[in-house]
Amino acid sequence: MNVYETIKVALSAIWAHKLRSFLTLLGMIIGVTAVVVIVALIQGFNAYVDEKIANIGAKSYSIYRFDFFKDFRDTDTLAAAQRRNPELTLEDYEYLRARLQLTEQLGARVAPTNSQVKRGTQTLDSVPVWGTTPNIVEIEKTDIADGRYFTEGENEVAARVCFIGADIAEKLFPYEPAVGGEIYIRGIPFRVVGVQARYGYVFGRPPVDSSITIPIRTYIRTFGPPVRNRWLYFIGKAVSDELFNDAVEEARAALRLRRGLRADEEDNFGIVTPDVIMGARDRIFGPIFIVAIAVPSIALVVGGIVIMNIMLVSVTERTKEIGIRKAVGARRRDILKQFLVEAVTLSAIGGAIGVLLAWLLSQIVSLYVFQTRLSLLAISIAIFVSGGIGVMAGIFPAWRAARLDPIESLRAD
Amino acid sequence: MLTAQVQEEIVPYGELLAQEAVPAALISMRDIWRTYQMGEEQVHALRGVSFDVQKGEYVAIIGPSGSGKSTLMNIIGCLDTPTRGRYWINGKLVSEMDDDELARIRNKEVGFVFQTFNLLPRATALHNVELPLIYAGVPAAERRERAKRALMAVDLADRMMHKPNELSGGQRQRVAIARALVNHPSILLADEPTGALDTATSREIMNLFERLHEEGNTIIIVTHEPDIAARAHRIISIRDGRIEKDERVK
Repeated sequence: MNVYETIKVALSAIWAHKLRSFLTLLGMIIGVTAVVVIVALIQGFNAYVDEKIANIGAKSYSIYRFDFFKDFRDTDTLAAAQRRNPELTLEDYEYLRARLQLTEQLGARVAPTNSQVKRGTQTLDSVPVWGTTPNIVEIEKTDIADGRYFTEGENEVAARVCFIGADIAEKLFPYEPAVGGEIYIRGIPFRVVGVQARYGYVFGRPPVDSSITIPIRTYIRTFGPPVRNRWLYFIGKAVSDELFNDAVEEARAALRLRRGLRADEEDNFGIVTPDVIMGARDRIFGPIFIVAIAVPSIALVVGGIVIMNIMLVSVTERTKEIGIRKAVGARRRDILKQFLVEAVTLSAIGGAIGVLLAWLLSQIVSLYVFQTRLSLLAISIAIFVSGGIGVMAGIFPAWRAARLDPIESLRAD
Repeated sequence: MLTAQVQEEIVPYGELLAQEAVPAALISMRDIWRTYQMGEEQVHALRGVSFDVQKGEYVAIIGPSGSGKSTLMNIIGCLDTPTRGRYWINGKLVSEMDDDELARIRNKEVGFVFQTFNLLPRATALHNVELPLIYAGVPAAERRERAKRALMAVDLADRMMHKPNELSGGQRQRVAIARALVNHPSILLADEPTGALDTATSREIMNLFERLHEEGNTIIIVTHEPDIAARAHRIISIRDGRIEKDERVK
């Protein structure tokens, strides 16, 4: 009996007990669906972190006073870091900017100061107002919906100009274009030069759409020097992607040199790169993901046990059939093959239905939450694993069927 | 065959004289014993049965229940192996064969007809008849063709796609006979073939056996009904595991 015949026999046996087959497969279907969907969610999440949070596309690095992943471990490490790490200054910025060869653009940002913003009768409270160097627009590839970013010249003279988020524009200028309009930040008039394209909410990032950006010098003049709460940080963009790591190392070496650190001393500042963020992501979410995959995998195992159970019932129920087949010339291996193929076919069907459901679910998630990645690898693993479970679940019942005594089986009802 | 020869050689000389090397008869049984272990006790279902059946014979094996005739039938049909003794079918020593070799013999040499038909309930008549050919490895197209011819031979050309529960008892038994004959076995082995049928249908089935016999098939019928046995050409009576009488009646 060849494989094609055997599968045909298996399919007709499965079809003959439609409801039972379906109920048998439920565990398998749920297991496969869960595993594939979770893998799709994880991969989608990772891609989301890569693109949006780590900003892989922009390939930029940031220099902070603290190393977020080391210094923020607990209050002691933070206190030590506060004593050890001096605040970043505009002088540091100018120093680096003048010396870094592999960094095409070095920009600076000051942490936002929450301010009351007014236009006419409209008042917005606690709007984060950022100060940046004008080149930030190129480094961060900021999308502009209308108008422009402020210029180097405007920064030099600390001009009262601002670049506003989409929500701010909508709230303060509901009926007319925002560009060219005037708003009051802490009672001081600013001219709107540009509106940022809607950015949307990104987990882990400050809300861009409801913030305002002004030139860094204007910021210092308006709110005070960049110290303490108005901490400064730098963002660098390498001359090329290939030289990115070299650019980061150059910046690190330059800042260490400026601060006179000895070779055996640790950095007294922190540099964040996309790699660091992805590494942190893997450290934090890796164990969660493992558990998230392991739990539904248990469902797969349970599904396999259910299949084994049903196959055993099936062998008992079909003792007579086995007897008839043996009487007309089926060998042990024919019977073994028949029941094994039946178990494998059954679980492969379960796997296929599971994958189909997983595809549907991840389409829905993609539509409403975030883009999931249904990977071919996860699908093939799911089908392979369910088939493997089918083999495991089928071997014992098939072996029992194969060694039935033909005379005894013929006597069965 | 090699095993058969080796076996021959280790048989004591005296015993060797008593038997031919490979009997010429279609079926040849020599001193067949079948012993069952029932707890502590040994039960001898067969106690030294010997007989030959030539090609083309029509034999009835009769005996009361418990006589050992079912055991004998199982051994003839290669569903069971003797505890002691030798059994050749078509020149092959089957008493020494393993499970898979026996399956092959059942497939090629024996056609079973059972009292309760033993058809696959979910399969069509055609598929039931195809079954032995599937295990014989016959390609699908040829298999279908041969199964159709076998069904036509038992006058069931118009019932091929029916399932057993859509057929009458007589029709079911004819499907079973078609299945038994489809792989051209050496013997047609029927176990109480009319036991589940009414008198008229029984007569119809027995007529069919007669016709098959006339066409050259070797038929062995196991029964306890004297009038069924009476239609055979030779009657072997079994009692207490031994042959009581072996007479040619026609």
